[in-house]
Amino acid sequence: MNIQFKKGVLELCALALLAKKNRYGYELVNEISKRIAISEGTIYPLLRRLKNDGYVTTYLEESKEGAPRKYYQLTDEGKKMEKDLKQEWKTFVKEVDSFLKGGV
Amino acid sequence: MNKKEFLHSLSKYLGNVPREDEQDIMNDFEELFEMGKKEGRSEEELAESLGDPRTIAKQFRASIMLSRAEKETTAANITRAVFASLGLGFFNLIFVLGPFLVILGLLAALFAVAVAIAAGGITALIGTIFSPLFPEVFNMLINPAVGVFGSIGLICLGILFFIGMIYITRGFFRLFVRYIKFNVRIISGREKKDEA
Repeated sequence: MNIQFKKGVLELCALALLAKKNRYGYELVNEISKRIAISEGTIYPLLRRLKNDGYVTTYLEESKEGAPRKYYQLTDEGKKMEKDLKQEWKTFVKEVDSFLKGGV
Repeated sequence: MNKKEFLHSLSKYLGNVPREDEQDIMNDFEELFEMGKKEGRSEEELAESLGDPRTIAKQFRASIMLSRAEKETTAANITRAVFASLGLGFFNLIFVLGPFLVILGLLAALFAVAVAIAAGGITALIGTIFSPLFPEVFNMLINPAVGVFGSIGLICLGILFFIGMIYITRGFFRLFVRYIKFNVRIISGREKKDEA
């Protein structure tokens, strides 16, 4: 898949994953890289940006396997952002699809 | 590259970001390496899938400098944000540095105008005051009272202009931070080909 495509939707993927439940960094990275081949390291700067912009917050939670993990959670603003982006994406995909099918 | 090398390299490329930010970033990657190792992946394998520490560091730098410029909109912070975002690629050289320099030049010119108006007022005031003493040097044709008030008015105008410019500059800076942010969001990490 084209790199440009992947980069553009990385933010949406991260927000969509967090909309389902709170996750820790490694989990997010894994979920995304499982399906989209991408430099995993670039997901961390993205998460930081989302945090700086107030779309996510973080909290620490103890885990069974030792060190506490940093969890990411969507804020209200983040939830709204996720909805908006998802809608935009759907519309966009529909439009592109209609070109591909040659139905215009 | 093992974990130590990766973290070392990342820290090196992060450069002069605030300590707590660096610590935070390091912790995140430590955590990642630890969890990855528990799943049976080697440090080398993990570092490989993380990608180039330099690229990652640049993206962190840009977002850290930007949020700093947003909190404290000073010329120094904005300049840092501009240069950090330049690290993201050639695109920003044109779309960030270009407009930044143009705006900077424009603001400097307007400040110069403000200073010139005030300086003109001061010169006129001095001229008016000293003209009776040296009639052969200062050949003022206007009424001294008009001269004094006129020049004081000119000084005030210059000062007001200057103060106004400070506000305008702040406003521009704020707008500019938003503009860089918008740019970074669009292009962050888009340019690299080594990044599949």
